[in-house]
Amino acid sequence: MKTTDGRSVASTIGRYALAILLVALALFLSLQFQYSLGNPFWFFFSVAVILSTWFGGSGPGWLAVICSVLAVMYYFTPPMGTFAISPSDVPYFVAFVACEAGATRLILWRRRSEDALRQARNQLEVKVAERTRALESANAAILRQMDEQRRTDETLQATRAELARAARITTIGELTASIAHEVNQPLAAVVANADACVAWLDREKPDLLEARSAAERAVNGATRASDVIARIRSMITKSTPRKSRVEINRIIEQTAALVETQAARNNATIQLKLSPDVPFVVGDSIQLQQVILNLVMNGIEATATVTDRPRTVTLVSEVELGPSAHDGQVLVSVHDSGAGLSDEVKARLFEPFFTTRTTGTGMGLSISRSIIEAHGGRLWAESNGSGGAIFQFTLPKGDDPRE
Amino acid sequence: MKEQEPIVFVVDDDRMIREGLQSLIRSVGLRVETFSSAQDFLLAKRIDAPACLVLDVRMPGLSGLDLQLKLRDGDIQIPIIFITGHGDIPMSVRAMKDGAHEFLTKPVRGQDLLDAVHKAIATDRSLQQERQESKAIREKFDSLTPREKEVQELVVAGLLNKQIADQLGMSELTVKTHRAHVMEKTEADSLAHLVRMAEKLKNSPRK
Repeated sequence: MKTTDGRSVASTIGRYALAILLVALALFLSLQFQYSLGNPFWFFFSVAVILSTWFGGSGPGWLAVICSVLAVMYYFTPPMGTFAISPSDVPYFVAFVACEAGATRLILWRRRSEDALRQARNQLEVKVAERTRALESANAAILRQMDEQRRTDETLQATRAELARAARITTIGELTASIAHEVNQPLAAVVANADACVAWLDREKPDLLEARSAAERAVNGATRASDVIARIRSMITKSTPRKSRVEINRIIEQTAALVETQAARNNATIQLKLSPDVPFVVGDSIQLQQVILNLVMNGIEATATVTDRPRTVTLVSEVELGPSAHDGQVLVSVHDSGAGLSDEVKARLFEPFFTTRTTGTGMGLSISRSIIEAHGGRLWAESNGSGGAIFQFTLPKGDDPRE
Repeated sequence: MKEQEPIVFVVDDDRMIREGLQSLIRSVGLRVETFSSAQDFLLAKRIDAPACLVLDVRMPGLSGLDLQLKLRDGDIQIPIIFITGHGDIPMSVRAMKDGAHEFLTKPVRGQDLLDAVHKAIATDRSLQQERQESKAIREKFDSLTPREKEVQELVVAGLLNKQIADQLGMSELTVKTHRAHVMEKTEADSLAHLVRMAEKLKNSPRK
């Protein structure tokens, strides 16, 4: 849309020409109809002035007013044919001029406000366009940032997982070294004393007193070794007896969310089949989550070699029903579509330090079983009918009298 | 010269192991002395008898390897049998390089340890004899006067009396007198014996 300032010279000339043309037309029509309509001169001229002002603006408007007044003075006010006006016609003529001038002023005023309005609207549109552009670029920046954030998050998560794994391995490595030393020490004492005992007995004249005290020290050493093992066991199972009311389905959901990225990275999907009727259990939610996490991670890794079928790990929770003592207890199972378990592997699964993976510590299942047993449940493995393995555990329901 | 009864030193922070090893070694008729830390062993009085050291690598405070270095720095020669719970290769290599006699892993088979002990004592015994021999030789050589020493060195270097006399600016007769004193003081039977003793002295470090 163009503003008044922007109009070309040609259009300015056109507007003035239009005014003159309109006044000429009015003059012509007035002359044509002056006798049939009786005193009609102001009517056509008024129309010409109004149109000129309306379409031409202030200059052409005022030009039309002047031309009309002159035409009326010349043709329609006695004495005709001159620009003179007889005194009797002055009031009438003045009224005509006032009407024309008033109309022009009114129209101009109207035009100006319209122009101002249009200009304001234009400015508004420009501003809106500017704002829109700014918003769009801001939006794009936000999208970029979100994308970057997402990538950073992914990296962070991967790093964190890697770190956790490294920390776990380091911790277990250190723990193992320390356990090895703690157990080996009394064993060394047992061997030394037992050897000494034999040596005293083997002498030409067996020294029973020395042999006896060596044997006693061997017994003490063996007792110390078994004490160390008992201490380690109690450290693993009873270290954090923070028992509270636990909704097992919630823990399963949280765990599934935790491993989602890991699963996606292995092209595996996690499926949940949770029974809404599962009662709450009493236990340590962090330990239980560790168990489920361990089973799911094992499941995901078990599917890594699968290429001929979908890689899935399904988490199922259900209530065991029946007349047996197990009635009402919670059963959680983790099904994977991996290669399944050979009999040999199945037999040794829960042995500490037994692992089929190069990076495994062989402690996961053994610790998991200790945790579940400390909660009054059982943890065992089965082969899945359609290939793959099922790891499942039971937990007594919360209102169990044992708890 | 009557040899003293051999002795085995056992250094281990674990009382039960210490007692077991002590009993085991005593059962074959060897003298045993035990220490619960490397520091205690360092403070103990040295005995001039064939000996060996059974040493636990991993101990609080001064470790077995630290003790080995300290003994070497103090020029205390004693064969060391290391016992370690975690026989990692770099550590055993380091210990062997630094002159460990044997490196056994825990739990140690009794017979293995006794074999190592016997071998170590035999080694120490021959080392000790050598040490005592060179000590005796040193004492004899130390009794020479400075002039006699000069003559002895040139004699051993293979010079004739005339050459020695020229070099030291004395008469041949004087050289002969000094030479006779040298042979007498060092109890050398022959020139060859004197050369052998001088050679031995050169090879054994002065304590």
